[in-house]
Amino acid sequence: MSTRTNQTVNQTAQFSILSQDQKQRIFEGMIETLRNTGVHLHHEQARELLKEHGALVDGVSVKIPQNLILDALATVPPVTVVQSWDGTRKTLIEKNQVLFGPGPTPPNFTDPHTLERRKYVRTDAAMVARICQALPNIGFVQSLGTISDVTVSLADVYEFAEMVQNTTKPILSWAFSRNTCSDIHQIAIAMAGGEDAFKQCPNYVFYGEPISPLLSDFHAMDKAMYCAENGIPQVYTPCCIGGGTVPATHAGQLVCALSESMLGVVVAQLINPGTCVIMGGVQSIMDMQYSVYAYGAPELGLLSAALTEMAKFVGLPMFSTAGCTDTKILDPQGAIEAATSVHSAMLSGANFIHDVGYFESGMTGSVLQLVMADEQIGMSHVVARGIDINDETLAVEEICNAGPGGNYSDTDHTKKFAASLWQPTLMDRSSYEDWAAQGRKTMKDRIIEKTRDIIANFEGPISKVPEDTKKKIADILQAAEAREAENAGAKSK
Amino acid sequence: MLEKTMLIKMNQQAYGTTRFQILTGDQIEQIYFAALDVLEISGARISHPEALELFTNSDAVVSEDNRVRIPTAMVEQALGSCPSKSTLTGRNGKRSVKLQKNEVAFGSGADAGFVYDRKSGERRESSFADVEAAAKIVDYLPRLDFCMSHGRVSNAPNPKTYDRHQFLAMIKNCTKPLVVTSIDGDGLRDQWEMACLLRGGEKEFRLNPLFATFIRSDSPLMSSNDTVDKLLFATEKGIPAVYTPCAVLGVTAPASIAGVLVQTLADALFTVVLCCLKKPGSPLLLGGIQSVMAQAKETPSYGSPELHLTSAAMTEIYKWLGLLSSSAGGCTDAKVVDEQAASESVMSIYNNLMAGTNLIHQIGCLDGGLTGSLASLVMCDEIIGMVKQIAKGIQVTDETLALDILKEVGPGGEFLSHDHTYDHWKEWFRPTIIDRSNYEVWSDSGSKTYNDRLEPEVDRILESHAPEPLDENIVQEMKKIINLADKKEV
Repeated sequence: MSTRTNQTVNQTAQFSILSQDQKQRIFEGMIETLRNTGVHLHHEQARELLKEHGALVDGVSVKIPQNLILDALATVPPVTVVQSWDGTRKTLIEKNQVLFGPGPTPPNFTDPHTLERRKYVRTDAAMVARICQALPNIGFVQSLGTISDVTVSLADVYEFAEMVQNTTKPILSWAFSRNTCSDIHQIAIAMAGGEDAFKQCPNYVFYGEPISPLLSDFHAMDKAMYCAENGIPQVYTPCCIGGGTVPATHAGQLVCALSESMLGVVVAQLINPGTCVIMGGVQSIMDMQYSVYAYGAPELGLLSAALTEMAKFVGLPMFSTAGCTDTKILDPQGAIEAATSVHSAMLSGANFIHDVGYFESGMTGSVLQLVMADEQIGMSHVVARGIDINDETLAVEEICNAGPGGNYSDTDHTKKFAASLWQPTLMDRSSYEDWAAQGRKTMKDRIIEKTRDIIANFEGPISKVPEDTKKKIADILQAAEAREAENAGAKSK
Repeated sequence: MLEKTMLIKMNQQAYGTTRFQILTGDQIEQIYFAALDVLEISGARISHPEALELFTNSDAVVSEDNRVRIPTAMVEQALGSCPSKSTLTGRNGKRSVKLQKNEVAFGSGADAGFVYDRKSGERRESSFADVEAAAKIVDYLPRLDFCMSHGRVSNAPNPKTYDRHQFLAMIKNCTKPLVVTSIDGDGLRDQWEMACLLRGGEKEFRLNPLFATFIRSDSPLMSSNDTVDKLLFATEKGIPAVYTPCAVLGVTAPASIAGVLVQTLADALFTVVLCCLKKPGSPLLLGGIQSVMAQAKETPSYGSPELHLTSAAMTEIYKWLGLLSSSAGGCTDAKVVDEQAASESVMSIYNNLMAGTNLIHQIGCLDGGLTGSLASLVMCDEIIGMVKQIAKGIQVTDETLALDILKEVGPGGEFLSHDHTYDHWKEWFRPTIIDRSNYEVWSDSGSKTYNDRLEPEVDRILESHAPEPLDENIVQEMKKIINLADKKEV
């Protein structure tokens, strides 16, 4: 019996856009940009903090020396664990651990029943969370809309309150300001069962956004500081528009995107060394024909995958983008653009791949696009996980036993391995005759059916939320309403 | 003024393109050794007399039941004789496909019995005119590199000569190189004679092949006599042959992915040895369609992710062995051009392009290869453009890093009006059917879906594109060859 030695095995497919030297040059570009060009930071307290630690501050301009960046990168955590409020689900934020999910805040929503574009309402948030909960390849939750039928300044809080009770998958929440950030945090603590339980293991991630190029407004930084103070894992990422807010060349865009996130990383690590900060963002180009930020451009897939490599290079988790499209309606364009970005993002190994389900360059959220992408992610996964090579899978004995032209239909080997093959839920492989007899349904018809079926029949975890927790959430919302009414009153005076 | 100093950043290595790899060399080696085991222990079975004679006169062991078992040394000798490159050149000599490691070409295909009728929305039998229309579209589309018969010429005067008619329909309407299918060895001979007319002789064709011949085998390790006829004729005449073993996981092959790769490779290596025994050094491409079974059909699924995975893996294995490769791409199990057709086409094109498959054929196929669609050809052309954009990778230079531009524009600034943007935005992918207008512009222009825009583009190409005409004398000469065949076979 012989023994095999010196084997290297690809346990998954390997995919890479940048060489080590290319990544090093982009990294050096970021160091040089923060040192020489600097950023504009509209937050006095944050500027003071940076100044204390050696940054050059002049008005709103902040130039950051490289030791501050290197120190910050030395304290970012290699692993962060997010646990669901019911304790059943642990999400690891660590290198190459991939999850897909929707995105936040489009103003419009495709109604899954009328298929019309309309405003996003409060009940949609719960519905989106339930659909995410039902879809096996969706790993985290964002809302796919901005609630239009509640107090405007509390749309973020209502959204979180609705979603968190309808899913156990981690939510990436957003907020207008430190106040609503705190409201959301109180809800999360209520769901966790107390502040200590949350400190032990956070149950959500916060999403915040500086402005490209190289600018952080007061609220973006204020929220980032709140998250750092409270140990909330946070995303601090820009939407860079190639040829608009950043250079048209991809390398320049990567330098910008990295620099913009790095400011958040430095401030967060100064406040609370070891707190989790996730870099990344939406990376695409400006369509020059229509002046639209192209969510379906192949450049989005390319830039996102390359920025993911930069995130791994500097040791940060990555918030990436895929499954989105510039189409206005569910059609093959949406399928082409989503499949292309989904596969790129999957192969790149990003942590939170968001915006799955975006139509119309991020102006409309669609659960139909989300349900379709769930199937595409399943297909992508089959290729991405690669091939298991061992004596049993190589099946030399099986092949020799079957002989030339042999039949493998009923062997034990086939039974064992056929069971692990991917099973489509939306792809049709029937004969033409059967397909015609069953009503000539396109994939779009099947997507709509599946989506409506989930909405009608999938309950989600809401019945598991304790009554006293529901009461606490209602109280938090009521207090927030009172505060906003007071603020509005003060303003009108 | 600053003094000029030599500036050089040393020891730099860049990725010229995006890199993608499913298997390591060690894993490929495992598959290769297993395939050699299969050839030694179990071998293949053929009944073709000339092939049996070739093997009998070699070091192979031929048993009474026509089972041929091959020692490893023969396989490795044969592998050493395979040319590392070849080139296909279209009829006017201007458009060519380089067949060499990591060069990728896309083309239509193949032989669908039906086409999607654009007026009725139903499928109907494919005809000469359908193959002509598709060839014309392939001639036009910038990202399709070769033409393979979109459909079967089912209205040929003789059911056993449709291959010659397909050749004529394609050569008349397309100046790109062809990949042809042949009914049998005689069909291939006629197609080759027609090509020699164009090239000006047998030797000229060998030096500069006009087409490759696509030879599909549906029974693993048991090539039929027609398959072997075509292989031997192609080998003799130096026609690049695309040998494509097909298998269905868990039916005609093991259900484990590694197992189906072993079986496919054993089948391919058997063919490499056979061709080498006939005449060493003839160009050979190895392919494979390895997929799960489509429900209620005996045929492999053309859209499964297992197909995409095995295609890319087989390409990696063939590359490692120094062989040329081919795979199916741009095809689907969907019956119409819908979201499924789009998704499955993207996945097959993406993975094959990244893997570096030489010939990616079958673009424009619906319903598991049974129905051809002109609209799908046009859609896939756009998909190829998008995936190529990702495969190009990213350049990292002082110019593209643009640190000085970033400093100049500064925080909160804009790049839209900067010369640097003007100089570089044209490097981006520009869509043809894909629409990026905003909601208002889109609804004002009729709220058209992708399909609504795709169909008029097919019409536009068919109406406006005129392929360079083929010399009428040559057409007449070709028709003589075809007429002879039509009469002979009846």
